[in-house]
Amino acid sequence: MQTIMIVEDDPVIRQELAFLLENEDYQVLPVTDFETIPEQVRCACPDLVLLDLGLPGRDGLSLCASIRKTAPIIVVTSRTSALDELKALNLGSDDYVTKPYNIPILLARIKAVLRRNGSESTEPDTLKAAGLRLSLTKGTVTAAGASAELSRNELKILAHLMTHAGEIVSRADLIEALWDSRIYIDDNTLSVNVTRLRSKLEDLGMPDVIKTRRGMGYQL
Amino acid sequence: MTIREFILDRLGRIILRIAFLFTIAAFLLLTGTQPGIVTLLLIVCLLIFLLELLIDFWKKKKRLSELQAIMNELDQRYLFIECAPKPHTLYERKLFDLLRLSGKSMIEAVSNAQAAGREYREYVEQWVHEIKTPITAAKLICQNTDSDTRRRLSTELAQIDAHVERALFYARSESPEKDFIISRTELSTICDEAIQAHKNLLIQNGVRVETENLSELVYTDGKWTAFMLGQLLQNAARYHGEEPLITLAGKRLGRQVQLVVWDNGIGIPAHELPRVFDRGFTGKNGRNRGGSTGMGLYLCKRLADALEIGLQIQSTAGAGTCVTLTFPAEVNNN
Repeated sequence: MQTIMIVEDDPVIRQELAFLLENEDYQVLPVTDFETIPEQVRCACPDLVLLDLGLPGRDGLSLCASIRKTAPIIVVTSRTSALDELKALNLGSDDYVTKPYNIPILLARIKAVLRRNGSESTEPDTLKAAGLRLSLTKGTVTAAGASAELSRNELKILAHLMTHAGEIVSRADLIEALWDSRIYIDDNTLSVNVTRLRSKLEDLGMPDVIKTRRGMGYQL
Repeated sequence: MTIREFILDRLGRIILRIAFLFTIAAFLLLTGTQPGIVTLLLIVCLLIFLLELLIDFWKKKKRLSELQAIMNELDQRYLFIECAPKPHTLYERKLFDLLRLSGKSMIEAVSNAQAAGREYREYVEQWVHEIKTPITAAKLICQNTDSDTRRRLSTELAQIDAHVERALFYARSESPEKDFIISRTELSTICDEAIQAHKNLLIQNGVRVETENLSELVYTDGKWTAFMLGQLLQNAARYHGEEPLITLAGKRLGRQVQLVVWDNGIGIPAHELPRVFDRGFTGKNGRNRGGSTGMGLYLCKRLADALEIGLQIQSTAGAGTCVTLTFPAEVNNN
């Protein structure tokens, strides 16, 4: 499991961010003593530091340079000027996210930095659930030896359902997940895509694998 | 100053002098001086007067154009008196003293107003940064609750965020050159940032977004452009029609790149189009729907001007609106 250290002076954000990251299967180290941050980083050796720039009593930018040698950094701040961003990146931060951040984007950036720094366990290329095998890179779904090619939209829909196998996924959640993957569709288009996906799965001999839960959403 | 104006100005003095001359002439004639001598004297005196008048006109005119030249070169015209030359006459000196007093109070007023403006801008920026902490906290809390509450709250929070961003960019647009950095950016990066920022509003209004040819590269400040695009997306989401669709398309025009933002919304009446970029203009749609501030497009225009992005809007009431952003041509490195 990867360790993320949160350096953030606002207690509510610190707590909620820790909660969110724990749900994403990261080990979280919230920092509460802001005097000895470089030492704490050296001791704990986290895989990533989320660093807020507006810390009490010290300038987050100067911390960047001293932490950089031990761990990769994502600067998270409400300072939004282009100059601040440039300074942070020059001082060795790996990425720069401004508050209030879009949460899926923050998670994606965390993943990207971890991957770049080589500590990410490689992301699974295939998903397995309900008798289906989905290859994310090839964009094909396999069931009982037969396989079918999926369009980008169908792939994302099925991937989302498969990672939440067994749960009821509401249409709204599904749309939101698709928007996060840069597929900007509306409700009708979702219906069309789900219908197409179902007929492809039917051809593979899996007719009712995606169930409609009336008024609630879909379930794999 | 023309010679006519000058003579009219001096008319009293000229009449008085001529009257004086003729009185002397009459007196001399009465006391027995020969008429020929008197006439000669009159002519010589009149010529001297005329010469004096002309020299005086020439000097005054030269002086005035000297002062005018100083005024023309000044950036801040109210600083004129500080740069004025030494007064030539007593009258001029007194006049300059008065002007200096007036100028001084003007300079004071101007610098007070500038300081107040700057302080206010700084406060707004600081406030925006402070308000972002609780917004972030609220977003995170919201993320960790059930999905229905999350969605509803997220929309409201995104709304708050959009208002806050507008305030920030309004403060910044006062002196934009300080705050943007031009870099090479792909159109799709800008579009994705803007769409993500207004995701909730767009989804809630059932909008579908189609993108075309967004791999073009532009030279601009990504954040500012994403903010501008965000205003257009918000408008398109608010004033949508049946089956709302927004198309974002990149287009190459010689060395320039255009981003065309088209929606099939309710459109803008033709007579309102010329005023949509005015500050605080809300129009019929805005009034009917409420919640319009008339700031979005105004800010767009200001930022576009600062970034040298061309901004054109076309619309047909009932059919949709099309906004075209034309990015400046890339600088040739060769």
